[in-house]
Amino acid sequence: MLRYRETGELHKDFHGSMNAAVEYVGRRYGRDGLRAVFKATAQRVYRSIYEGLKAGDWSGLVEHWRYFMDREGADYALSVTDEAVVMTVKACPAVARLRKLGLTPSEFFYDQTVLLNEAWCEGTPFEAVTEITGDGNCVQTIRRSSKVLKC
Amino acid sequence: MIPSDQFVRFYNEVFKFLDAQGGDALEEYYRVVSGQQEMHCLSLFKTRGLAGMKAYWGRIAVEENCDMTCTLYDDRLEINMNRCPSLGKAMDNDAGAFPRYCDHCPGWVIPLLEKAGYRCEYDMIGRSVPQCRMTISPADPDRPSRVLLSGQ
Repeated sequence: MLRYRETGELHKDFHGSMNAAVEYVGRRYGRDGLRAVFKATAQRVYRSIYEGLKAGDWSGLVEHWRYFMDREGADYALSVTDEAVVMTVKACPAVARLRKLGLTPSEFFYDQTVLLNEAWCEGTPFEAVTEITGDGNCVQTIRRSSKVLKC
Repeated sequence: MIPSDQFVRFYNEVFKFLDAQGGDALEEYYRVVSGQQEMHCLSLFKTRGLAGMKAYWGRIAVEENCDMTCTLYDDRLEINMNRCPSLGKAMDNDAGAFPRYCDHCPGWVIPLLEKAGYRCEYDMIGRSVPQCRMTISPADPDRPSRVLLSGQ
């Protein structure tokens, strides 16, 4: 069950605020600074998702992705197999909003996805592979880690 | 992607990170945010004055699901936030709210209003109470903007 499940209207201009925030932190404190903020976000704000992943259960993350990608009107596909969860984003609503606002995505903009997924998988049986495949397109894969030895 | 619904919980972590850097890292960030918000607000506030501010915050109230009243008088605009969803989300958060979360709001609002030729009395009431009040009026050299915590 989702820990956070907002309803009602959306303030999509927050994607512009996100662009500015990652630009600010990334420019002044580097990717290590961003990594620290996204680690706190992934593992403390989204604690229930992270605890699930540590226990080998990705259902909380899948539910989170589905709910909020639907709510944001994203064009995406999600597949779940025994080995991996793959989310293919064909039109990212955050990038679309930046374009509507006349903003250029910061060079750190995609780190909100890359570093968040990385932090979600840290210390879990999973690993994240986030491929940015174009402007507003990406493929996010959470798969069972090859580093985990099965007994 | 951080959903727009949950940006404020991320923002809350940015504040914690910047505060931990020491010095005036947080206040500097508020100033940068204020400059960025000029894109959305400054022209509107300068050209339409208090009515433009009412239009801006009226849209915010809808999009952010605020319980808020915004009353325009001849000489001032009064905003009463009865339930702030931003602090509400920061508090309804497994990571916990940054203790001075509320400060970011006057931190960006007041410099922008002053640039537009206005002053603001910003009563945060209390930093753990998701309510606040703003009274905005034309700039007056004898009465500078100020931030209050009337409930503490």
